[in-house]
Amino acid sequence: MDQLGFLFAANLCVWGGIFFYVLTLKKRQAALERDLQLLKEESGKDGD
Amino acid sequence: MAEENSSKEISSSQGGLFWLTAGTMLAALIAIYVWVPTEKNEGIIQRVMYFHIPCAWLAFFAFFIVFVSSILFLWKKEREWDIYAHCSAEIGVIFCSLVLITGPIWARPVWGVWWVWDARLTSTLVLWLIYVAYLMLRGQTEAGSIRARYSAVVGIVGFLDIPLIHFSVLWWRTFHPKPKVISSEGLGKGMDPSMLITLGISLAAFTLLYCLLMGRRVALERTKDEIDRLKREKLYSS
Repeated sequence: MDQLGFLFAANLCVWGGIFFYVLTLKKRQAALERDLQLLKEESGKDGD
Repeated sequence: MAEENSSKEISSSQGGLFWLTAGTMLAALIAIYVWVPTEKNEGIIQRVMYFHIPCAWLAFFAFFIVFVSSILFLWKKEREWDIYAHCSAEIGVIFCSLVLITGPIWARPVWGVWWVWDARLTSTLVLWLIYVAYLMLRGQTEAGSIRARYSAVVGIVGFLDIPLIHFSVLWWRTFHPKPKVISSEGLGKGMDPSMLITLGISLAAFTLLYCLLMGRRVALERTKDEIDRLKREKLYSS
């Protein structure tokens, strides 16, 4: 592999890593917000 | 109503931070690939430095926040500090992993080997292992004050490796080059001004990225706490 290939690999790792982490955060947040919404709806029904 | 207003303020400040980070990142990329000249000894691969050093800086900064937050947690016993320590440790591990990946990619064409067990590389690997252990400890134990206390101790002890990493290249003979930004000749004296400016922009972009990621990660942890609180309330009321 030439120097350009190594530079490309390094870039891919950095940006891919950051992108993957941001995506994971978004997915986790969406799942938690769904759970929170369900819980709030359930507690609202219990209150009635 | 007040809660709604404050969440709107948070999301608008996060939006501002996102665009500021994106703009600085774009400026860094232009400086790295268009503006800064190619280093004459190492060639084009030297441009990895503009990601490698900011990733290292971000990891060290994140672990410094873990260190400070852990001390504050042990002192004040407030959950908020435990949240900051946990979130910052996770971000620190991500960027420390990127340092350990980009380092060998840079080393292979320059040194001819992917990895050498010299003091700088080994102590950085030890730092990564300490904070992976920190996250595993948190993942494997029940949530509560005992977990937070043990984690805080690991978070404080782990940080002691960072001065060792910094001084390792000065205390021992290593493959890794000596610091050029903070050197004995003076701040940034060992580098070309254009390289120093590019590195400065990249460092600013990565620091902003840390703030952005930290904001998102802390929000996630608060949502988790809210869910736990509602579950507890439901359990006691039934």
